[in-house]
Amino acid sequence: MNGADARSRRDDLSGRWRSSTKRLILVYGAFFVAWTVVLIGAIRWQTASYLDGIVDSILEQRLRFLSSVERARLPALLAATTQLDLRGLMASGLFDAQGRYVAGDIDHLPEGLAIDGVVHPLPEGVQRISGERASRMHAVALKLDDGSVMLLARDYRVVDQVGTIIRSGLLWALSLTLVPGLLGGYLLSRGPLRRVRRIETAIEPVMRGDLGARLPVSGRRDELDMLAAIVNRMLDQIERLLGEVKGVSDSIAHDLRTPLTRLRTQLHRVQQLGDAGDPRSELVERCIVEADALLDRFRALLRISELEDIGRRAGFGVVDLGETLHRVHELYVPLAEEKGVSFVLDAGTLPPLRADGHLLFEAIGNLVDNAIKFAPYGGHVVLAAAADDGRVAIDVADDGSGIPVGERDAVLRRFYRSNASGAAQAGGHGLGLPLVAAIARLHGYAFSIGDNAPHGTRMTLRCWTSDEWEPTHA
Amino acid sequence: MARILTIEDDAVTAREIAAELQAAGNQVDCVDDGRAGLTRALEGGYDAITLDRMLPGMDGLEVVSELRRAGVDTPVLMISALSDVDARVRGLRAGGDDYLTKPFAPEEMAARVEVLLRRGGGVRETSLRVGDLDLDLIARVARRGDAVLDLLPLEFRLLEYLMRHAGQVLTRTMIFEAVWGYHFDPGTNVIDVHIGRLRRKVDAGGVAPLIHTVRGCGYAMRAP
Repeated sequence: MNGADARSRRDDLSGRWRSSTKRLILVYGAFFVAWTVVLIGAIRWQTASYLDGIVDSILEQRLRFLSSVERARLPALLAATTQLDLRGLMASGLFDAQGRYVAGDIDHLPEGLAIDGVVHPLPEGVQRISGERASRMHAVALKLDDGSVMLLARDYRVVDQVGTIIRSGLLWALSLTLVPGLLGGYLLSRGPLRRVRRIETAIEPVMRGDLGARLPVSGRRDELDMLAAIVNRMLDQIERLLGEVKGVSDSIAHDLRTPLTRLRTQLHRVQQLGDAGDPRSELVERCIVEADALLDRFRALLRISELEDIGRRAGFGVVDLGETLHRVHELYVPLAEEKGVSFVLDAGTLPPLRADGHLLFEAIGNLVDNAIKFAPYGGHVVLAAAADDGRVAIDVADDGSGIPVGERDAVLRRFYRSNASGAAQAGGHGLGLPLVAAIARLHGYAFSIGDNAPHGTRMTLRCWTSDEWEPTHA
Repeated sequence: MARILTIEDDAVTAREIAAELQAAGNQVDCVDDGRAGLTRALEGGYDAITLDRMLPGMDGLEVVSELRRAGVDTPVLMISALSDVDARVRGLRAGGDDYLTKPFAPEEMAARVEVLLRRGGGVRETSLRVGDLDLDLIARVARRGDAVLDLLPLEFRLLEYLMRHAGQVLTRTMIFEAVWGYHFDPGTNVIDVHIGRLRRKVDAGGVAPLIHTVRGCGYAMRAP
């Protein structure tokens, strides 16, 4: 049915629904990544601060030392310092009072650098005489006693390299922890998801009304098994209660039939005693009609129960469906014509069915009777059948007002009469379609109610052919 | 006057059966035990038997089987609270001639007994006649007086059944069972509609009607 399909699409496990394990793993992964980023940032910041301090203190120590030596020895010392610094991290420059270059490997004072003996960062770096330029440096400049200016600078590259090493190390650690974690979690979540899918498959018959079906329990005694066991106990209880309710209604129907039949008999005798022209005879006739209608309902009710309870197979045999359809058509054509409804049979060559011929005729007859009841004056009813992929679909379509999607399951319940389709006005007693559904269940046929374009109802019985039919289907 | 044996252990039902059959002018003997019923039936002299399916002493199925084994072919109407088709099939296979489910309308039971009482002796007629209505079973032609009736195959079968049981009351269920061959209540007024159409063809043009409605019961074909 369309409504059920839509619902099933909405609830599809592979759609929007995700396993709780997967969700937990994703949330855990996100927290883990966020925390690692904070950790990397903190370690890098601490390391950088520490190394900054070291770089700055090296500069300060050298400045103190060089500022204390004799002015004449300074160019030589600066040159020696540069030579000793094999990695080329240090740079220096000596300028006279007018700011002219005197010695060292830097020939100009960087712009904006305060000459105050305090270490300052130089984000743009300083170009050496050799043309080499470091991207980031820390530098200190000091005015000596004779007015000349000494500049010391140190490349900051080492600190950045250390930061990069720390960051990549932590990222490796993060990936080594996160990737197996997410992968393992995903694999772990697939097992329970598979079991949930099995449970979904197992519960489908229950949703279709077969309360005898139960959920699979694996025997692992885990949370899913506990849940399945709880649902199974609940289904046991529902089945028992429904059985009791049905039993009570069946007993009432059964017990009331005999006195009602006797009442009808008495009315019949009264009618026989009356004169032909007696107006009281008409009244008695109406009472008999009412009693007959009541007896019909009880009979139909008990018949549905009988079909649901016994699951009989004795009447099963190979049935010529074409012949059955022809006979149904023959039976109901006059009724349709009386109502001003055209009733057409549209069936080609059909394979034989494995079925109870009487029940199949009764089911199709009920569908046709129903369709004629709900087709408007001048309307159309079509009884069609076609073989399709090892099964045969028997369609009964009318162009009445149709059954609303929300009521299509309900009309299969006993005594339910759709207000929208005017069942009460049409004289239905709400037992015809439940009877068809019971016959379909007994045969293992699928029975569905859909729309008939542009308006009306299409009822379909999908039957097993005699080749495809197996006892397990029923 | 026909002699009928009613084997029924429920006193109320037995009384109802007897009253209805006596009202139709039959003589009815009642027995409430299976074994005693079999003995009476074997003594012979009965034109029909109504037999309850579940009886003390001996089951109804056994009674009818024993009767048939003994070569007694008195028509038997099986009456049972078991309504399902399997029970019906078992009842008829055991040798019953017709099957009725409890609770039943007495007139339905009486109509069925009447049909059994007037059951033909197996001679196949080639034509049937009721009043001025002729049915040629070989040529498949129906005539009312001189006029040939234009009947569909189904209408022909229906008319044949009514004419074979002319003078007898036939309920809607009996007509449905005999003409369509299915054993359930077709519901609505589908049989009435078929009879109505047949009546418009058979009793058309101001002639004396042959098909009569029996109120609250069914139909009967009678010569005027």
